[in-house]
Amino acid sequence: MQSETHMTKRIRSKITRGSGEIAILSLLAEQPLYGFEIARQISERTGGALKFTLASLYPLLYEMEKRGWVEARWQANDAGRDRRYYRLTAAGRRQLAPLREEWRSFFQALDSLAGVSHA
Amino acid sequence: MRDGNKLDWRNEVRERIAKLDLSPQAKEEVIAELSAHLEDANTGSPHKTSMPSDREWRQILRAIQRSKHEVPIMNYRTKSLWLPGMTTLLGASLLLALIQILGFTPRLVWVHGMGMVYYWPWLAGLPAFGALGAYLSQRAQGQMRARIIAALSPALVMLIVMSMILPFGFAIDGWHFLRLVAFGLALLNWVVFPGFALLLGALPFLRPSPLQQA
Repeated sequence: MQSETHMTKRIRSKITRGSGEIAILSLLAEQPLYGFEIARQISERTGGALKFTLASLYPLLYEMEKRGWVEARWQANDAGRDRRYYRLTAAGRRQLAPLREEWRSFFQALDSLAGVSHA
Repeated sequence: MRDGNKLDWRNEVRERIAKLDLSPQAKEEVIAELSAHLEDANTGSPHKTSMPSDREWRQILRAIQRSKHEVPIMNYRTKSLWLPGMTTLLGASLLLALIQILGFTPRLVWVHGMGMVYYWPWLAGLPAFGALGAYLSQRAQGQMRARIIAALSPALVMLIVMSMILPFGFAIDGWHFLRLVAFGLALLNWVVFPGFALLLGALPFLRPSPLQQA
């Protein structure tokens, strides 16, 4: 099989990044979580389809923090260990609705083209 | 190493991100967070995370650097060392120029027939600039060494200039003991005494920050 072209890699990277943003924002809309818990819950709830590594998760979280979509502060977890909990800000909450709409349109478009919907 | 020992994860992460150009505080926070993740992932969790490879660490560094500093106007070293040092140097030079323009008569001290010029008002004003340099460096989370160098910058620049002039003097006029004495006196005049004055002003800002104490 031919290796991925540069364009394919770019598209894949953008899709991964976009899906990461909506996954994290959706999860944090439910409750504040720290990095490892975010990765664990996303992996569990998507049946392993979406997985975050150290390299993919934290740069994304830091960038979202810089944009003001999430804010972080240290607090103890259930085991009494200090962890950096991320919480959705008002700006992040405002970002979530258009992102959901964007992804809905994307899947509808893809479905009409390639019949990828399982419904 | 892979026993989930928190200290080991911290050290491992600290080594890996040593080149990250962030303030010490921001860097410590990244170290604490990444090592906590690795610790969680490798102690009793089914979601074990292997240590990233060298290539992945380079990607992490680049990505964190990008996400923490979108448009780095000044890097950490510039903010904590070069800018405070240049400010101190400029301030001390302007003060000396002002004193000369205002016509303050320098005090002449004769040693072995050589006259040394001392501007006492300048020496008296230097602690303020030493304090300024150390304060600016401290505010930019500069390490102790950066604060001292920033505060001493006028004296250090003079030391460098004089060290460059001395060999030229010997090369042109040949070896003279008196020239060496003159150099020593000039060293006292423009490096040692100003250095003490600058350091005196910097002292209140040389206490280790809580982060550096930890």
